[in-house]
Amino acid sequence: MFSQKVAQQSLRRLAVQQPLSMQWSMMRASPAAMALGKGLQSRPATTASNTEDPTQILAKQRLNRPVSPHLAIYKPQIGWIGSSLHRITGVVLSGPLYLWATAYLFSPALGWHLESASMVAAMGALPVAAKIALKSILALPFTYHSLNGLRHLTWDLGRGLTNSAIIKSGWTVVGLSVATALGLAFI
Amino acid sequence: MASFARSSLLRQTLATTRSPLLRQNVGVSQAVAFHASAKKQILPPLPQKLDGTMNDPVPVPQPHPSEGSYHWTFERAVCVGLIPLTIAPFAAGSLNPVMDAVLCSLLVAHSHVGFQAAIIDYFRPQRVPKFYSLCNWLLRAFTLTTAVGLYEFETNDVGVTEALRRVWNA
Amino acid sequence: MASLRSTSRLFAASRPFFRPATFARSYATVEAGEPANASEPPAKMKSFKIYRWNPDTPSEKPTMQTYDLDLNKTGPMMLDALIRIKNEQDPTLTFRRSCREGICGSCAMNIDGVNTLACLCRIPTDTNTESRIYPLPHTYVVKDLVPDLTLFYKQYKSIKPYLQRDTPSPDGLEYRQSPEDRKKLDGLYECILCACCSTSCPSYWWNSEEYLGPAILLQSYRWLADSRDERTAERKAALDNSMSVYRCHTILNCTRTCPKGLNPGRAIAETKKMLASM
Repeated sequence: MFSQKVAQQSLRRLAVQQPLSMQWSMMRASPAAMALGKGLQSRPATTASNTEDPTQILAKQRLNRPVSPHLAIYKPQIGWIGSSLHRITGVVLSGPLYLWATAYLFSPALGWHLESASMVAAMGALPVAAKIALKSILALPFTYHSLNGLRHLTWDLGRGLTNSAIIKSGWTVVGLSVATALGLAFI
Repeated sequence: MASFARSSLLRQTLATTRSPLLRQNVGVSQAVAFHASAKKQILPPLPQKLDGTMNDPVPVPQPHPSEGSYHWTFERAVCVGLIPLTIAPFAAGSLNPVMDAVLCSLLVAHSHVGFQAAIIDYFRPQRVPKFYSLCNWLLRAFTLTTAVGLYEFETNDVGVTEALRRVWNA
Repeated sequence: MASLRSTSRLFAASRPFFRPATFARSYATVEAGEPANASEPPAKMKSFKIYRWNPDTPSEKPTMQTYDLDLNKTGPMMLDALIRIKNEQDPTLTFRRSCREGICGSCAMNIDGVNTLACLCRIPTDTNTESRIYPLPHTYVVKDLVPDLTLFYKQYKSIKPYLQRDTPSPDGLEYRQSPEDRKKLDGLYECILCACCSTSCPSYWWNSEEYLGPAILLQSYRWLADSRDERTAERKAALDNSMSVYRCHTILNCTRTCPKGLNPGRAIAETKKMLASM
């Protein structure tokens, strides 16, 4: 029974791959020959079995797979846009703090003047429009990060986690942070 | 049978019509590779690779509360502590030196944790091991110089909130 | 007799010779089968741009292919449109679908920028804008709209999603639960693991190998919240590291996108609270 199966499989493969050699093998694999058990040993196709590790076929296919698009195609929503702004504003606030404090530490060696008196003088020398612009650029990340931080702390208490509350609080934070930043800039 | 034959024939015809196109495409993409394309991803994911068979669960990491729950609680405590210290200068004009020092240290801790979270999110040690450790060491160095710099500013100058007030009103 | 049967199979295998003959039996489109009707409303043609990638030609980049359908002749849901495209326009279009009523989770995909189930998503009736259909975001694509979710299921297995108990029930029949305790599982047990929420999460996009993602964390919380489970401490310890839970930065795309109206974001917040009170 097993030998018959082998014969069938190899013949089927031959039929698909080499239609010409099919005629040849059909002569030998006639019902009579099959019944007598002839023609099994002499066919080369039976020995050419699949030596490939079957578990590796899928692994090889995986290497070709593309990654589906993500950030570029996802619909802009207040939730994730607001969250990415939270991280960006955090970096915008902490980055200059890190750079300024490090520069202040090394300013005696470098001969820079970063003490408060010279910074106040530099700020005072700017025209009014530049002052307001600079202040709003500094204030907006601060107000947004602070107010959105409160929103995050509320979530960490398990409150305000419904879809409507998330959307409402998101836009509230945007509005409030712009308003307070402008207020701070005009102080 | 009919549907089977149809689909396989379609595939055959598609294969024959596509092959010249495919050859062209290969040529084009090779030429394009020399140009800086706008669609180039910054850190494209690696080809898919799965550990173990499909029926094995992913390994469960060792418990590490100081990077997990304790870290989270500490982070929230710092955030909550920052709220009154942020509001107080607006109410009082500036802070006394002790409160100012507390604000500075909380700010440094908050910034450090925030930067660290960003590094963990975007630069995995499995993906970019050297860049990951470089970032971590840079962050530690900068946090240290920032902390010392702020200490110098607090002791030798007027303090962070007072300086900010003066600059703002300049 | 056995040998005779083998030859008949042999001829069955050689049937590809007759393919052209069978191909002549082409299928009829819906339009061709319908009688001409003068009072037919004007066609409402809508374009569908669908992500295509064929694993048989891996060197070709994924493309967007456009199909036009008359909405008057299409069912109301996105899945109806996809099935109609596959039946009448392009049989090579590949997607998963099964129940067509939002309970199997097979047809999860990104439709017009939001992850949802195609069978629960109405086709926008605005025919001026095209609908864009992508596979679930940041997944490895098997073909067209079919993502590979093997890692997702492996992660599901890692949280041991089954009741773990050592003490037998007092009456030896069943593990009883108060109505209040049972109520805690509402909104958790309904999850169908369609992976819409996990693949909408940017944290899961960047760190899917280690971060478990919203869907698995919701399931994890389903067992943490179960009053009958006795391995709560063990389950909590398995999550207490920097990657498994704490890559969640409450972006809350998960809650926004869940096609079943569940709240994975709240489940993760509760998990964090449980871990903090350890």
